[in-house]
Amino acid sequence: MEERHFIPESGGDQEPPQEAVEVENRREVRLQPGAEEKLVLQFMDSLNSYLSLSHSLSSTLGQAWMELASARHSMGTARLNTSLLDLKFHPASTTLKITEYDVDSVDAKAWFVLRKWVSSEEVEEDEDSNSTKFSERADDDDDVVVRRERAKSLSVFGILIPPKLRAAQLSFERALETLVEMANMRSRFLYSFHQLHQEVEDTKE
Amino acid sequence: MYGFEAMTFNIHGGYLEAIVRGHRAGLLTTADYNNLCQCESLDDIKMHLSATEYGPYLQNEPSPLHTTTIVEKCTLKLVDDYKHMLCQATEPLSTFLEYITYGHMIDNVVLIVTGTLHERDVQELLEKCHPLGMFDSIATLAVAQNMRELYRLVLVDTPLAPYFSECITSEDLDDMNIEIMRNTLYKAYLEDFYRFCEKLGGATAEIMSDLLAFEADRRAVNITINSIGTELTRDDRRKLYSNFGLLYPYGHEELAVCEDIDQVRAVMEKYPPYQSIFAKLSYGESQMLDKAFYEEEVKRLCLAFEQQFHYAVFFAYMRLREQEIRNLMWISECVAQNQKSRVHDSVVFIF
Repeated sequence: MEERHFIPESGGDQEPPQEAVEVENRREVRLQPGAEEKLVLQFMDSLNSYLSLSHSLSSTLGQAWMELASARHSMGTARLNTSLLDLKFHPASTTLKITEYDVDSVDAKAWFVLRKWVSSEEVEEDEDSNSTKFSERADDDDDVVVRRERAKSLSVFGILIPPKLRAAQLSFERALETLVEMANMRSRFLYSFHQLHQEVEDTKE
Repeated sequence: MYGFEAMTFNIHGGYLEAIVRGHRAGLLTTADYNNLCQCESLDDIKMHLSATEYGPYLQNEPSPLHTTTIVEKCTLKLVDDYKHMLCQATEPLSTFLEYITYGHMIDNVVLIVTGTLHERDVQELLEKCHPLGMFDSIATLAVAQNMRELYRLVLVDTPLAPYFSECITSEDLDDMNIEIMRNTLYKAYLEDFYRFCEKLGGATAEIMSDLLAFEADRRAVNITINSIGTELTRDDRRKLYSNFGLLYPYGHEELAVCEDIDQVRAVMEKYPPYQSIFAKLSYGESQMLDKAFYEEEVKRLCLAFEQQFHYAVFFAYMRLREQEIRNLMWISECVAQNQKSRVHDSVVFIF
């Protein structure tokens, strides 16, 4: 999955003239009193969150792998191994959507959005705007669909599978969510670092 | 006639009973498990196992080791012991020994059929099959599209043929059909094995009927718990329970309608032998149920060796070895994942 970073380019030489005003406005915001400290705090907060998520991911993955080993111990190696995974073409059960970063927003939009258990969703393609709409469902229907998708994903190992394997699936799901949060947090602190770096460059000028 | 086996058993079974009791003495002890649980790496485990009967099977394995390698090599030891006993056995012991492997045969059939449904390579699937469950035409399973073809093309010439009468349909194979086929075959196999042991009579019938009844009851509980929240209907669930065992028939009627683990507990606690098992679990929890069942099974299997002149010692030895291999697999996983604090979650000591 390719990561795209939308970081404002430094220096005015490479930017088209119509964006010079926007760049100047942003520069004026940055030069306001306390702006640098605010950027430093944002950077440190993002970095701290990233490290916390990293620790959380490590423990979640450790738990997930142990639950998988426990399920193998319970079911036997013949019933739970990689040679049972389905090689037939089928839609992805989980997708990652990359959205554009809103540089003017105080609370930056997430760059990476995880959409879990979407293989059964109705997707209507809008040919004009090239965007996608998703049909609305009631919350109860969501739970049923998610449960069905989870069961379908595990059905490669059989229908009567132990609770340990289902627990392992949930743990790996949590780990995936944490990974996406980490990706967003990383993008955030890289952006904060870039802004801080620009601030320092502007100060030197 | 029960009680007179001492006069005639040793004529045909004496040598092999001595062999299997010798093999039993080679099972790992608590001291061995304590040493293994303190290993820091899989190479340490290999070093400790080199002093046991698994030594010759692991000595040539190069580093780095993988947990599946340890399990495969230890399984070869079990297979060698079994084949030696089988080639020396006469009837009816040879048939009894063959019955022990039919469960693995069923697992292999389901593995091949499921893997083929998922468009996997047959050679890759054959490598994952249990060696005790192999038969000549097993690779031909990949060409069958439904159960009727499965039976007609391959299984009609195997010992599993009589078990197929209840699941022959022309429906195409899918995950649900395969699961029902697995459990229906295993149910028929257990019932057939039970009848065979009853026909043998004597101490074999007495001890094996207890062990097989426990197996049937454990299967019923696992099927119930694993089918909660699935598409399996109550009637279909009821049909998968064996027609013998302590829970048959009233316990099965109650288990068929259970919707959560606490209802299963309420049913099982009415039966004294299973009260102690469920007493070890907290309410709503099923994680330790497997270990509790394995501990009870090991206790019963060890008791089989307290009597002489019967065939149940062979069954008990095979099952104890399989439990030992499961223990080694769990210890290896905990060491490989650096989670040694979880080692005692699933290790069942035999002695």
